[in-house]
Amino acid sequence: MRGSLGSRSKLKVFVGATSLLTTSLAAPSARAFDAEVTSDTAAQAYSLRSPFGDPILFRRRVTQTLGLGMYRLLPDEKPGGPQLFVKLRMRLDADFGVEASERRYDAGSAESRYTPGLAEAPIDLMYGYVEGRNLAGGWLGFRAGRQYVVDALGWWSFDGALVRLTPPYVHVEVYGGFEQRGGLPLSLGRFERGGVSRGDREAALSGAPDAYRHFQQAAMAPAYGVAIESAGPTWIHGRLDYRRVSNRGTATTLALPDATGATSATISGTRTSSERVGYAVDGTAGRWGAARAGVVYDLYNRFVSSYYVSADGFVTRRLTVTADYDMFRPTFDGDSIFNWFTHWGMKTATLRGAMTVTDRLDVAASGGARWYETDDDPAVSPTAATGVLPSGGGGVATSNPETGAASTMRDWLGSADARYRWDSARVALRGVFESGDRGKREGVDLSGDKSFRGGRYFALARASVFDWRDELRPDRSATSVGYVLGAGFAPSEFARTRIEWEHNTNKLVGQRYRVLAWLTVVARR
Amino acid sequence: MSPRRLLERGLLPAALLVAAVSGLADGADAQPRWIRGPTPDGKPTPAALLPPGAPFPDTSGPSRVVYPPQQLTIRFNHKKHLGELGMSCTDCHAGAKTSTKADDRMMPKPALCDGCHGSNHEDLRAVKGGDAGFGSCDTCHTPWTPEKGNDVARMVLPTAHLRSNHKLHADRNINCEQCHGAVQEVELATREQLPRMKGCFTCHAVEGPQKGKATSECTGCHETVPGGQMQVTFKEGKLTPPRWMGNMEHGADFVARHKMVSGDNAKACASCHAESFCTDCHDGRVRPRNVHPNDYLSMHPIEARMDNPRCASCHQQAQFCLPCHQRSGVTMSGSPGALAKQGRFHPPAAVWSEPPRTRQHHAFEAQRNITACVSCHTERDCATCHATAAGGGRGYNPHPAGFASKCASAMRKNSRPCLVCHESTELSARCR
Repeated sequence: MRGSLGSRSKLKVFVGATSLLTTSLAAPSARAFDAEVTSDTAAQAYSLRSPFGDPILFRRRVTQTLGLGMYRLLPDEKPGGPQLFVKLRMRLDADFGVEASERRYDAGSAESRYTPGLAEAPIDLMYGYVEGRNLAGGWLGFRAGRQYVVDALGWWSFDGALVRLTPPYVHVEVYGGFEQRGGLPLSLGRFERGGVSRGDREAALSGAPDAYRHFQQAAMAPAYGVAIESAGPTWIHGRLDYRRVSNRGTATTLALPDATGATSATISGTRTSSERVGYAVDGTAGRWGAARAGVVYDLYNRFVSSYYVSADGFVTRRLTVTADYDMFRPTFDGDSIFNWFTHWGMKTATLRGAMTVTDRLDVAASGGARWYETDDDPAVSPTAATGVLPSGGGGVATSNPETGAASTMRDWLGSADARYRWDSARVALRGVFESGDRGKREGVDLSGDKSFRGGRYFALARASVFDWRDELRPDRSATSVGYVLGAGFAPSEFARTRIEWEHNTNKLVGQRYRVLAWLTVVARR
Repeated sequence: MSPRRLLERGLLPAALLVAAVSGLADGADAQPRWIRGPTPDGKPTPAALLPPGAPFPDTSGPSRVVYPPQQLTIRFNHKKHLGELGMSCTDCHAGAKTSTKADDRMMPKPALCDGCHGSNHEDLRAVKGGDAGFGSCDTCHTPWTPEKGNDVARMVLPTAHLRSNHKLHADRNINCEQCHGAVQEVELATREQLPRMKGCFTCHAVEGPQKGKATSECTGCHETVPGGQMQVTFKEGKLTPPRWMGNMEHGADFVARHKMVSGDNAKACASCHAESFCTDCHDGRVRPRNVHPNDYLSMHPIEARMDNPRCASCHQQAQFCLPCHQRSGVTMSGSPGALAKQGRFHPPAAVWSEPPRTRQHHAFEAQRNITACVSCHTERDCATCHATAAGGGRGYNPHPAGFASKCASAMRKNSRPCLVCHESTELSARCR
């Protein structure tokens, strides 16, 4: 992109900013607040080959995050009293393996590998906000800026303000702003509802309205929500959430040329992106057991999109037995057609036992089934069926899902985990088993790490064997053996380095190598 | 080796031998009975004597992370001094009601014992023992033998990893027993008598007037890191929540189960974890191997079809999966250069997309787990068959049973997806 910084330049700017902030914090100051700057740099190199042999994608990634925290901004802050602080984290995610032909749209070239939305070195603000707590006698809190919301509706990010009323027994949160969306400045699409690909289409594909019509122009998405949450007792907790996000701006509608020959059409205005309400609750009954439950109702789709129930029995002081039941029905952004392809939710039931054998050794095992029902329709000959939504004037009747025969498919799931911890070391073992009509996977993963000399040196190792069978593509079945070796060094309490070597071998990739290197620098005052 | 095990393995026989020999010489009634531990018979401390909130039997004691293991080299009989001699806690622990920090040292100076025991600790390099009965060095010091002289074993009492403010509690008339249990009834006071979080919650986890100034914030008692979260990593290990507290026990499989905790009570998670802890996996750029082990790039289609773990909890398909699949040619629609060497990914059309339908038909996949489809396919791929003829497709109806009853409502909220497959005239006529 002309006029913009290349990925290497961005990296230099980012490193420069990190150094500047770190240095400035190291300078003495008479101010009373605490400040912290953290910088994480991760470099990794590996490659992946298309299942068809070509192309091969070379990943040469450098990810750097720069965090700033300023705490105790109010005079004489104490736990439980008024608090004010600022937190911010930015990220540069450069992949030097991205080729120019993948970033530049070239309409006339048969060699074009343009991928909508792909950038070589995007910079995003992961979060950045000012927060106040325990204000107004402990009854008020707020947060303003880019922030996360984690609740029964999932993990979400928006730019705006949140006000929290915190009287005894019940807390209330009200928030509003704009959802973080890919294509907007310093933003990525990680927290958008699925099914829609958004970015700066106008900059990338101006003059080509018919190209890559699934790639929509990003626009500010107003959002607001409210939550009511219990507070105080530790034996019961519940939280009710409501959130609505709206789409604005222009979106293309036609995926194909229509019957009139039109190749492009758009729709504008404010419309629903998502509107959901969720509730989660947990309770603990002394030494007998505990239970959790949660449900999400999608007001746009008008169905329950997920729910779960989990009951724990504290059989002994060290043994817990759990029964879980979970239903999940995928939903998408309101602009997506994929909401209308989901029929029934996937249901999962598992039994689990977990035991704290000693203060150092934990073990857990679970097993269960996941099943899903389908109703009949797409394979029924369209000419032989009676449609509930006949395509008026199109001459082709659709099939009738109301009369179809249901079918059920099942996956069997199992897992086993063990972990042993020393003061400065840990060993973990995890085994998984999954089997169903769509494939099978089983394997074990053994990992361990240890620090030496009070954490100055660090070593890790991991070994795993996995076997998988792909029922849809038997040629993609394989047994894979892999290991990871790593070592770290902390030259001071403010810096850590680590390097890892990963090697996997199986018939699909032959040998796959991956090298990772980390550098973490922290400055505090 | 813990004090109890020390006592049991080495000191007890030695102490019994010393006591027997002394008894033969001076008469047993004049000699102290060497205490073995909290109770005379070496049995577990009775529940009534333990601090509030302690489990019974308390086989492992309180958290060794919060209260690091101690090395007790003084056998002080609390029951004797408090219960029989009528002393008070503050006679020895003078700072018990004025201490404001956990690292305040509240152990009495040795000279304090001299008044009754007849010893002389003024010069610790030349301590003089008292009477042979209650003033000998081994009355209190253990392990000790006469040839050791002034060389007594060092007592190790690590500072608790807590903000322990005795004064705040004492000022509110909270007596020692309310937090430490019936120390006056135990002989050797060990880590067992240290306060338990469950007991703290008697006051610190209530709402209303009875709460007083007892904050329920974790950081009211626990140490913090600069970001304001609880410090959870110590050289003694990691601090994790107990099972009884919101059922948040971080067991061996907690990575797979944490969603239920965080979805309900994210604020509890945020007490210990900063955002970066979550983003490392949920919005990270380095594959977390404890979730995606081995050659996950090659095996991920299997898990994606089973949606186990749930891909969408970390990945937005159209933003994360689709670009990579488009780059590598694993898509139906994409750039000519990427698709030039494309082969067929799915089973043959006769199995995957044509009737009659078998269990391998794509309809099953789409109906149950459309998210896997969306990771490779764009709307255009689906509309080719599922749009109405007027919309450019072949009219295969993808809608679930009962859809007709609510399509009008959905269209009012957002007509964009309707218009991808249907003509606006058709929609306006039917969906009212």
